[in-house]
Amino acid sequence: MANLNIRNKQERTYQAIVVGSGASGGWAAKEFGDLGVKTLLLERGRNVEHIKDYPTTNMLPFEFKHRGKLPQKVLDENPIVSKCYAFGEDSEHFFAKDADQPYIQEKPFDWIRGYQVGGKSLLWARQVQRWSDYDFEGPARDGFAVDWPIRYKDIASWYSHVEKFAGVSGNLDGLDVLPDGEFLPGYDLNIVEKHFAQKLKETYGGDRHMISSRCAHIHEPSPEFAAQGRASCQNRNLCQRGCPFGGYFSSNSSTIPWALKSGNVTLRPDSVVHSVIYDEEKGKATGVRVIDAHTKEVEEFYADVIFINAAAINSNAILMNSTSARFPNGMGNDSGVLGKYFAFHNYRAGVSASHDGFKEYTTSGGRPTSGYIPRFRNVKKQETDFLRGYAGGFSAYRGGGYVADARVGMDLKNSMLNKTPADGPWRVGSHMMGETIPKESNFIALDSEKLDPYGLPTLKFNVEYDDNDEKMIIDYQEQISEMFSKAGFTDISVRDDHRVPGLDIHEMGGVRMGKDPKTSMLNGNHQLHDVPNVYVTDGASMTSTSTQNPTLTYMAFAARAAHHAVNESKKG
Amino acid sequence: MNRRIALRHLALISGGLALIPSCDFSSDDILAAYENLKVTASQKQLLGAISDTIIPAGELKGALELEVPDFILVMVNDCMSTDNQTLFSTGLAAFPDFAKKTAGKKYDQLSTKEKENLIQTGIDLQPSENPEGEKDKAVTYFLNTTKRLTMQGYMASEYIQTEVIPYSLIPGPYNGSALISEIQPTRIDG
Repeated sequence: MANLNIRNKQERTYQAIVVGSGASGGWAAKEFGDLGVKTLLLERGRNVEHIKDYPTTNMLPFEFKHRGKLPQKVLDENPIVSKCYAFGEDSEHFFAKDADQPYIQEKPFDWIRGYQVGGKSLLWARQVQRWSDYDFEGPARDGFAVDWPIRYKDIASWYSHVEKFAGVSGNLDGLDVLPDGEFLPGYDLNIVEKHFAQKLKETYGGDRHMISSRCAHIHEPSPEFAAQGRASCQNRNLCQRGCPFGGYFSSNSSTIPWALKSGNVTLRPDSVVHSVIYDEEKGKATGVRVIDAHTKEVEEFYADVIFINAAAINSNAILMNSTSARFPNGMGNDSGVLGKYFAFHNYRAGVSASHDGFKEYTTSGGRPTSGYIPRFRNVKKQETDFLRGYAGGFSAYRGGGYVADARVGMDLKNSMLNKTPADGPWRVGSHMMGETIPKESNFIALDSEKLDPYGLPTLKFNVEYDDNDEKMIIDYQEQISEMFSKAGFTDISVRDDHRVPGLDIHEMGGVRMGKDPKTSMLNGNHQLHDVPNVYVTDGASMTSTSTQNPTLTYMAFAARAAHHAVNESKKG
Repeated sequence: MNRRIALRHLALISGGLALIPSCDFSSDDILAAYENLKVTASQKQLLGAISDTIIPAGELKGALELEVPDFILVMVNDCMSTDNQTLFSTGLAAFPDFAKKTAGKKYDQLSTKEKENLIQTGIDLQPSENPEGEKDKAVTYFLNTTKRLTMQGYMASEYIQTEVIPYSLIPGPYNGSALISEIQPTRIDG
C-alpha cells in the first residue's frame, strides 16, 4: 500500500475529525463549527452540493425515459439495492451499487448504502419520533442486552436542540410513550385517519393512539431556516431527488453548509477511512488513515478528538479494522462485544383494508408525512408472550384509478382522462416497525481474506430474526386487524413479506453503549471506554432498538457528544 | 437486412411457431433502436395501429400521434426480463394470425368496432394447456402489456401533462377532507 504522507503533518492536523457526513456526522461537524473547533469532515463518497447536485429534482414525469422505472439491466446487476423502495430512475445516483462494495451474507442481509456527502440523509423517510424512558429502560426492565447508561432526561434538551434547527413538524399529542418536542405546526390527518384515531380512543380507553407522524419538514418558514437557505416544504413528495427548497432536513441542505460557513470545518469527500490510529505511548487515538477513493493512496490525518459516524455497519468495520498491539481485536474492544448485539427493526408485516364511509370526500394537495401508531404493547408492564412491541405506520387514501373494465377505445380514453376518486373506496394501510432484541449471536464481522475494491476487509453478516420477532408479527397482524375492525374497516388483509433483515435500513448496535466496560463499547457520553477521545454517535452506538425511526436520536447523540468533547478539552 | 433473414429471426424469437406471420411486410428491417427485441418496422407499424385502437384520436390526440408505440418498445426493450421480452415478441408476431383466425380478416381491414372487439377478446383470452394455448398465452400477454404501456405512455406524455391535465411539481397544501363535488374538474372529452 503506497503511503504518500508528503504533505506537511501540520497541514493534516485538526482539532477534531468526523468520519461520515450523513445525519449524525453532519450534526457533529455543525456543532464543532459553531463551537470554533477546527474540524475535518471526511466522506467516503463523492461530493453532493445542495441543489447543484440534484440533477433530477425538477424533472417532470415524461422527462424520465422509463417514467421512473429502472432498466432491467440495472435491477439484474443490483439485486440488493433494487429491493429498496426509494431506488428509482430519479434517485439511482444517490445509492451505492451492489458491486461498489460486495459483502458476505452468512445469513441473508440487505445492506442499503448511500455513499456521498450527506449519505442517506438525502434519502431517508424523515420520520422523527423521540424516545421516552419506556424505551431507554427497556433492557433493564426486561432483562436483555445491557442497561442504557443514559435516560430521557440526558437527551431531552438535545432532542430540542436538534428539532429546532432541523425543523420538525408535529402536534403536541401529550403521550408519555412519545414525548412532545419543539414542533412546527403538524400536518393534518385526513378524514378517515381522524375517524380511526377517534375510534381507537373510544375503544381502547386512551391506551392506543394514532397521531400525525412527526417529520423533519419545515411546515412554517422562519428567519432561522432562511438563514440556512431553507424554505417551507412544498409537499412535492419527491424528497429522494434532493429538495431544491431545503424543505426537509438533510446534511446537504442544513448542517453541512452551516458547518462550512463557520469557517472551521473542512469537507473532504472521496476519503474512505481505513482505520483509526492508536498511539501506544500517549494511550489515545491520534488520527485516521484515509484511502483516496480514486487514487487509492493512503494519507493520515490527525486530531485530538475522533468522531466515528460512518453509519452503523461501517462504524463497526472501522473500529474492527483499527488494530494495534494494545487492541489486537479492534479498537476499544477489550470486552469482545464489538460487532455483536447487532439489531434492526422488523418491518415484515402489514395490514390493509377498505372503508365504505366518507364516500363524498377525498384528499387534495400533498403532505410529506402520514399517521403513526405509537407502541402500545408491553409499555407499562409485560403483557404478552414476547418481549417489547411495535409501532405502526398508518395512512388512508382515496382509491379510484382507471376504470379497470373500460373497453379499449374511446371508453378507455375518456375514463382515463376523467378518473375520479368517486370510482373507488377509501383504502387504509399500516406497516409494522418492530423492536428486535439485540443478541450476541446476531453479529457482523470482517473477513480479512477477502478484500473489497479499496483493499479493505470484507464485511460478513450473521443477523436473523428470532422467535420473539415471529410472535410479534402475529400479534401485530392480530391487533391491527382488530383495531381496523373496530373502526369499521372491511376487506382486512394481513401480509408478511418475509423480507430479510436490513431492508428496514435501521441497522443498529455492535458498538453499544453501556455502564460496564466489560460488556459494552461506549460510555454514557459515547466515548469508547478504553479510548475516550474516540466517540461513536450513530446507529452503531445503540444498546437497544425500540420502535421509533432512529435518526433523530443519532442526531441528538451527535450534538450532545460534540459538546461533551469540547467541554472535556477545556478541562485540559 | 433482407427479408429472408428477418423472417428467420422472427421465426427464432417466435419460439418456432409453425406459421410465419402472414401480414404484408412493407418494410422488413429489424429496428436497431430496440436491440433486445428484433422488432421489424412493419411490426412496429402494427403495434402503432393496435395502440391507436386502444387510445384513438378524437377531440384529443391519440396514442399513435404521441409516439406511444416507441415508448412501448423502449419499455419492453429496457425494462423487461428476457422471458417477458420473448413472450411479448412472440405475441406480436402471432397477432396477425390471431386476427385472421378470430376476426376473419387482416387487422387493417377491420372496422374500428371490430378492431376493438378483437383486442378486447385477446386481452380476455383464457389460454388452454395445449400448443394452441401457448400461442394464446403470448397473444394475451402481448395485448395486456401493450394496453398497460399504452395507457401509461399516453397519460405520462408531455402532451397530456402540459396541455390537457397540466402536471405540477408542487401540488399545493393538503386538504384531508375535500368534497369530491367541489374539486371535480370539468369533464374532458377525449
